[in-house]
Amino acid sequence: MIPANLSRAGLYLLPRLGLIGLAVTLSACVTSRVEDVRENGTGLSEGEGVVIMAKSYHLGNETEADFISCVGDSIGRGSSGLRVVPHTEFVDALFPWFEPRTAPAETKSLPELMQRPGVTEMIADKGVRYVVWLDGDTDRVAGGGSMSCAAGPGGGGCFGFAWWQNDASYQASVWDLQGLEDAGTISADVSGTSFLPAIVVPIPLIARTQSKACKGLADQLKLFIVSEEPA
Amino acid sequence: MIATRVKAVSVAILVAAVSACSTQVKLENPTIPDPLIDKLPLSVAARFPERFEHFVHEEQVIGKKKWTIDLGRANSMLFEKLFGSMFTEFQVVPQDAEPAGLGIDALIEPSIDAFEFSVPNQSQTDAFAVWIRYRIKIFDAEGTQIANWPISAYGKSMSSGISGGDALRRAAVLAMRDAAALVILQMDKATGISALSAARASSQTARPSASKKAPGAEALQTTPTEELQDDSG
Repeated sequence: MIPANLSRAGLYLLPRLGLIGLAVTLSACVTSRVEDVRENGTGLSEGEGVVIMAKSYHLGNETEADFISCVGDSIGRGSSGLRVVPHTEFVDALFPWFEPRTAPAETKSLPELMQRPGVTEMIADKGVRYVVWLDGDTDRVAGGGSMSCAAGPGGGGCFGFAWWQNDASYQASVWDLQGLEDAGTISADVSGTSFLPAIVVPIPLIARTQSKACKGLADQLKLFIVSEEPA
Repeated sequence: MIATRVKAVSVAILVAAVSACSTQVKLENPTIPDPLIDKLPLSVAARFPERFEHFVHEEQVIGKKKWTIDLGRANSMLFEKLFGSMFTEFQVVPQDAEPAGLGIDALIEPSIDAFEFSVPNQSQTDAFAVWIRYRIKIFDAEGTQIANWPISAYGKSMSSGISGGDALRRAAVLAMRDAAALVILQMDKATGISALSAARASSQTARPSASKKAPGAEALQTTPTEELQDDSG
């Protein structure tokens, strides 16, 4: 039943194309929801920027360092990218007022912070208009399946099927350091299921929940901050 | 020839096996930024005990590998930077120096009471955490101890994307920065150190009448140093 004009190379590629087709059919599924709640108007003037911070671990936060870097990089990237002040530079310049123990937990602490010697001047010097506080993390919430692998002198291989589900849930609170007020909150909830089928060769179909949450949150943050809509 | 090679390979395997069971972490020149604070008008000296200058913590995590954390001179550097930023005049004096005759308002002697850490296997998270319990003793110009203040500092670092050693090093640096923040925020309130300048000035004017206690000295002696809350998490 093989067509006469199918070459030997074609015969060799056929199973691989089948695997790719299977991979596309079974591709990891991800669902995401990004929402924002605006409290006050925003906007950025020339020379103003943002700093991305993790909420304090003294408050039970466990946001991953690579997620914070990802959001910062994504917000600063592209033609519509915002000016992002590196958070270590900001925290060091304002030492010790943004350490995990001393950082303000709510906007009503901002006037007192601004009264401290040199703080207002240093924030102006760094050109930081908004502080974005990130909270949340990515967790594996379910998983199953089994897989076994074996190797011998003639080669090796795996057989089985495994899957797992990751939920990424993050919130970003935007504080306006000029108005000393809460500008609003953006949340990103992404759920994804990854699959790992193996017939001799394992084919990972990974749901990139954290990177999707990062991109969704960063894109929405950019729109939120440059928009000047009133409450 | 073959015997030499076998011996070399055996040694290499042994070294690899031993190093796989232990991790050494050394803190070298941790970044401690200049604090954004006003200086207290005090002339202060600090003396650092030998163990404080070269602090090394070794611990075998049960059923797991051995960790060696060498803080080196990081603690001395931290407190030198900190006190140099907190007081108008600051100097480091030898371990055996006594305050009388130094012409200072206060002598501070920091030390480490305890060092603890946890690794992800223990906490069932991705985090490395470090707790450092410092003790700060303060003496007045005459050498009388006026405060004995324990502070608990805490640092935590997630291990995602970095090695365990780097995560533990970062957690230790964060704990040291936490201690610095605590000292800046609470030291005067907890120890009453700022009163020592006035106390020394008034004791100098009243020196002819000799053994009178400096004003405020009684209040300083009763500083409730052990009652501070430990909120290190």
